[in-house]
Amino acid sequence: MIDFMFAAAIGALFSIGVFQLLRRDLIKAAIGFAILFSAINLFFVAVGAFEGEFAPYVRNVEEGRSVSDPLIQALILTAIVVSFGSLSLVLGLVNMVSRRYGTVDSNDVNKLKH
Amino acid sequence: MANNIYLLGTLVTPLAGAIIALLFASDNRLQRIIGLLTGLVAWCFSAVLLSQVYQTGVQTYALGNWIPPYGIVLVADTLGGLFAFMVTTIMVGGLLYTLQSHDKCMKLPAFLPLFLLMEVGLVGAMLTGDLFTLFIFMELMVLASVSLTAISDDRYGLEAALKYIFISSMGTLFLLLGIAAMYATLGTLNMADIAEILQSGERQLLAPASALMLLCAFLLKSAVFPFHFWQPDFHTTAPTPVSAMLSSIVVKVGVYGIIRLVTLLYVEEATLLEPLLSTLGIIGILFGSLGAIRTYNAKRMLAYSTFAQIGFILVGIGWGGTLALIAALVYAFNHAFIKSSLLMLMGVVASYTKVKTADFAFVSGIGRKLPALAGWLVLLGGLSLAGIPPLNGFISKLALVQAGVAREDWINLSLLVGFGILTLIYMIRAWQNIFQRGPTPTTTETKAEGDSLLAPFLLICACLLLGIVFAEPLMQLITETVTQIEDANIYISAVKSIAEGP
Repeated sequence: MIDFMFAAAIGALFSIGVFQLLRRDLIKAAIGFAILFSAINLFFVAVGAFEGEFAPYVRNVEEGRSVSDPLIQALILTAIVVSFGSLSLVLGLVNMVSRRYGTVDSNDVNKLKH
Repeated sequence: MANNIYLLGTLVTPLAGAIIALLFASDNRLQRIIGLLTGLVAWCFSAVLLSQVYQTGVQTYALGNWIPPYGIVLVADTLGGLFAFMVTTIMVGGLLYTLQSHDKCMKLPAFLPLFLLMEVGLVGAMLTGDLFTLFIFMELMVLASVSLTAISDDRYGLEAALKYIFISSMGTLFLLLGIAAMYATLGTLNMADIAEILQSGERQLLAPASALMLLCAFLLKSAVFPFHFWQPDFHTTAPTPVSAMLSSIVVKVGVYGIIRLVTLLYVEEATLLEPLLSTLGIIGILFGSLGAIRTYNAKRMLAYSTFAQIGFILVGIGWGGTLALIAALVYAFNHAFIKSSLLMLMGVVASYTKVKTADFAFVSGIGRKLPALAGWLVLLGGLSLAGIPPLNGFISKLALVQAGVAREDWINLSLLVGFGILTLIYMIRAWQNIFQRGPTPTTTETKAEGDSLLAPFLLICACLLLGIVFAEPLMQLITETVTQIEDANIYISAVKSIAEGP
C-alpha cells in the first residue's frame, strides 16, 4: 500500500511540476522547477526507503539488524542543497528580469528574438 | 595503487584560487593576476598528469581514502586526462584575456572567482569516477556560467541566462533522475562498478531508461539538435572570455559524457545509439552552418558555427570504431583551440566599438582602425575552422574523412563534406566585412584602444603548431587514447585495484 502511495505521489508531483514549468509566469515556472526537484528527491527516497527496518547507526549494524541504505540519504541531502542553490539563482534572475523589463510574463521578455 | 597528488592538484588549484581571489575582492588588478597564476599552476598539474597517464597507465585518487565503490574516487584515464589538459590550456588563454580586458563586468569582485569555479566544474566533471559527483560538478559549471552571463556587459545577457538556466535545469533534473534509476537498478554509482555489472549483458528494469536520460542530459549540455535553442543567445551575450570558454570547452563536457557512455558504460547499446548520433550530427551541421550564414552578428555567427562543429564530432562518434573515435577526439581537441581564439578575436573587434557589439552593422569596415595583426589572425582562424592546410582544422577534417571512407558511409560523408564548405563561406564573408571594406557611417564611432590581442595570438600560434609541428605527436597521442578507452577493462581494473591496497 505504502509503495503504491509513493508511486502516486511521485507521479502527481511530476505532472504538477511539468505543468507549472510550462506556465508563462516566470515565478510560477520557478516554483514548478522546485516541485520537480522534490519529485526526484522522493523518487530517491523510494529507491532505498523500504529495505531495512532500522536506522543505519553503527550499533544497529553491529548487532546484525537489517538497516536501510545510508548512501541514499547522503545523496538526497546533497541534491537538496544543489536544487536550493539553483532555485535561488533562478529566483534572483527572475527578480532582475522583473526590474529591468517590468514584467515576469515570459512572452514579454523577448528582446533576444532574431 | 597510490593516490596521485597531481590529479587532486588539477582539481583543487582552481578551487583554492577562487577562494583566494575572493579574499582580495577589493583589489581587482591583483584578483586577475591571481586568476592567471592559478590557471598556470593548474595547467602544470594537468600536463604532468597527462604525461603520467601515458607512461604508467590510469591514475586514481580515492578521496579521504574511502575505498571504491563506497567512497568517491577521482580517475584520470587517457580520455579524462586529455580532456582535462585541453580544458586547463584553454582556460589559461581565457584568464590571460581577462588580464587585459576593459569590460565593465570584469571589475565586479565576483567575476574572477566565478570564472575559476567554472574551471573547477569542467575539470571535475572530466576527472571524476562517480556519476553523482559528475552531476554536482556539471551543476557547478552551469551555475557559474549562468551567473557570469547574467552580469555581462551585453544587456540581453540576463535574458539569455534565464533562458539557459530553465532549459539546463530541466537537463540536470533528467541527469539526476537517470542517476536515481541507475542506483535503483544496480545499487552503485561508481562508473567502473556500473560498467562491470553492465558488461554481463544483463539489462534489468531501469538500466535502458537511465541510459537514455543520461544521453539526453549530455546532448543538452553540448547543444545538439533538438536541445540547441538556448545556445546561440547564451554564447553571444556572455562576456568575451566566458563566451570563448563556453563555445570551446564547456560544450565538450557533453561530448566527453557521450564518449564515456558508448565506450565504458553502455558498450552493447552503442550500436543502437550510433545511427541516432550521426543523424543528429548531420542535422546540426546543416542548421548550424545555415544559421551562421544568415546571422548579422560576428559572435552569434561563431556560436552557430559551434553548433555545426559539434555536429562533426557527433558524426565521428556515431560512425564508431577506432578510426572514427580518433577523428572525433582530434576534432574536439583542435576545435577548442580554433573556436576560443576566434571568439576572443571577435571580442577584441567588438571592444573597439563604442557600443561594444560585434554586430556587422557596427563592425564592418572597422578593420582599418585595428592593429594589422588582428586581420591576419581572423583570416588564419577562419581558414583553420574551414579545414584548409596547413592549419590544425585540416588535420581534424582529414581524420574524419578517412574514418568515413573506412566506414563506407557515403551518404553521411558526402553530406558532411558538402555542408563543411559552408564554413568557408561564412568565415570569409565575415573577414571581408570587417577587414576589407571601407568604413561605413555607423563605424566611425570607435575607441582609440581595445582589448589586448595577446591571448588570441598565442592560441592561433598553438593552432599553427598543432597543424604543422605537433600534428604527428597529437595523432599518436590520440591513437593511444582510443586504443585504451576501447578496452573498458583497463579503466575498471584500475579502479578495482584501489580496493586491493598496495
